[in-house]
Amino acid sequence: MSLLRVQGIAKTYQLGKIAVRALRGLDLAIARGEIVALMGPSGSGKSTLMHILGALDTPTSGVAMFDGQSLAQLSENGLATLRGRKVGFVFQTFNLVPNLSAQKNVELPMIFLGLPRRKRAARASELLTKVGLADRIHHKPNELSGGECQRVAIARALANDPEIILADEPTGNLDTETGAAVLDLLKRLSAEDGKTVVIVTHDPEAARIANRVVRMRDGRVVEESARG
Amino acid sequence: MVRDFLTLAAWSILHRKVRSWLTVIGVFIGITAVVALISVALGLERTIDNEVSKVFGVDTFMLVPRGTFSAGRTSQRAAQYALDLDGLRKADGVVAAAAVRQRTAFVQGQAGPDGRLAQGFLPVMGLSPELTTSFASFIGTLELEPGGRPFRLGDRRVAMLGSEVAARLRVEVGQTIVVAGDGDKPELTLEVIGILATPSAGTPRRGAASGVTPSGDTIYIPYETMGLLWAQTDDVLVTLVRTTPGRNVDEVADRVQAALRAQGSNVSAVTYSDISGAIRTVTTTVSAFLAGIAGISLLVGGVGVMNTMYTSVLERTKEIGIMKAVGAKNSHILSIFLIESGLMGLVGGVVGTVLGLGISFVASAILGRIFEVRVAVVASPALIVATLAGAFALGAIAGLWPAWRAARLPVVDALRYE
Repeated sequence: MSLLRVQGIAKTYQLGKIAVRALRGLDLAIARGEIVALMGPSGSGKSTLMHILGALDTPTSGVAMFDGQSLAQLSENGLATLRGRKVGFVFQTFNLVPNLSAQKNVELPMIFLGLPRRKRAARASELLTKVGLADRIHHKPNELSGGECQRVAIARALANDPEIILADEPTGNLDTETGAAVLDLLKRLSAEDGKTVVIVTHDPEAARIANRVVRMRDGRVVEESARG
Repeated sequence: MVRDFLTLAAWSILHRKVRSWLTVIGVFIGITAVVALISVALGLERTIDNEVSKVFGVDTFMLVPRGTFSAGRTSQRAAQYALDLDGLRKADGVVAAAAVRQRTAFVQGQAGPDGRLAQGFLPVMGLSPELTTSFASFIGTLELEPGGRPFRLGDRRVAMLGSEVAARLRVEVGQTIVVAGDGDKPELTLEVIGILATPSAGTPRRGAASGVTPSGDTIYIPYETMGLLWAQTDDVLVTLVRTTPGRNVDEVADRVQAALRAQGSNVSAVTYSDISGAIRTVTTTVSAFLAGIAGISLLVGGVGVMNTMYTSVLERTKEIGIMKAVGAKNSHILSIFLIESGLMGLVGGVVGTVLGLGISFVASAILGRIFEVRVAVVASPALIVATLAGAFALGAIAGLWPAWRAARLPVVDALRYE
């Protein structure tokens, strides 16, 4: 069974008097352990789709299922718990909380799940070690390089051992070399821990690590190609 | 989890040090004003109460001309009334009574160097001997110049003179004065047994609470001697009555007042509770007025917290989005922001309480020096706890609306916010 499945989903935004149709009836299924690259030009609806897959947003119509559970049936609190427990987000701009250290940023999802302090601290340093930042635990985001910030973000995404990692342009703000390292890290996580990874990207390099590339245009899937 | 939210809120406050402190200043000015005013007002109230009970005693009541005492207002009119003091002493529930009579009389002193007698119309006051025994606190100890002595029980043809009168009549202790009474009563020659010392500046004016203060221009004679000079006892200024221990003062006072009015004495009985009630009416009104003003500054502080929190929510929209993306529920966001604003209120409360109490100590010392009494400082734990809880609540309430807005932000919009 697929971990994520959307059927006939549409999303229309109201921008003043103009209705923007970001998604126009889209079907997609993502299996457990898969690495999927969502590609397409700006405005093709990639990010909107990713927000719906990650329970950050709800579709205007259509069905979105997460692990057999319809997202439409979940309350706001239910969606928050799902995001905390089963989804890990990685953003283009890292989205770390600026006044918190790397460790506290990684602990954040665990705080909202109510994990005890000691357990959180141990888990955070374990994850930061895993992404190669063992010596950066107490640094704040403004004391870290872009690549380091993104690795903190990946560690945070892994905090609650989620089913899936949703990465929105994770290499968009990084130089080629650092970007490649981040992609390798994502690939390694998928291979080692069996995490499902969805990468929204413009970067052909990102597509390189994917099992499947899904191309979008005007709110629809136009091409799917499986890779090695 | 609350502990973690507390930590998150504290970090956020510390992250915005300058603005947080400015907000806290807004709160603590208000709290300082409220704490200082309340504790000074409570202290004054307690001090006045202490002073009144010290002078008056809770078992004592006063008979004054009807209409001269009413809640919060004492008439300037020096009316007098008729009284049967011996009858009063025998009344049920009364253990002691003392009265003050006053007349103006023609008085002659000693001859001057030119051989002319010093004389004039002067105020003569008759004091019951109990005034200096049972009711000593009422009139205070009469400070006499060296060589004098106070009245003794059974004294009749004696007088104590105010220092100004003594000088005017050219008499010293041991010499005599002649006081003329009613037309059908004889003149009396009285021996001067004491001259009142001129009160030096700065000594507390005891007896001021009753309106009877030792005066330099008055001749004091025993109450009974007044009876030898004037037949009518219709010149009583004030009477003090002590009730039997254990008796209800107000009940005895009411009964005595009714009985005296039935006899034609136009008097009002004033008890300790009447006086302290009247004083309390005034102090409560003043305190309420001042607290109202302090409350306004507190309100301004609250608006400051609200403004800071509102700005903070705007600034941290993205952060709110991040927290929601990693699993924060609306209630978590609400709690974090409420704790943050409550903390600012609490810090303001702590600083304000300390400063407010400090100010009230200084103010009490100054007031004490001005009024020559020990002004109590009321720093009750209840007041402090209530202030701190109130400060936290003020902050939290001021942060309620911004926090609610923060919690309600749609997560995708919040994440996009730059």
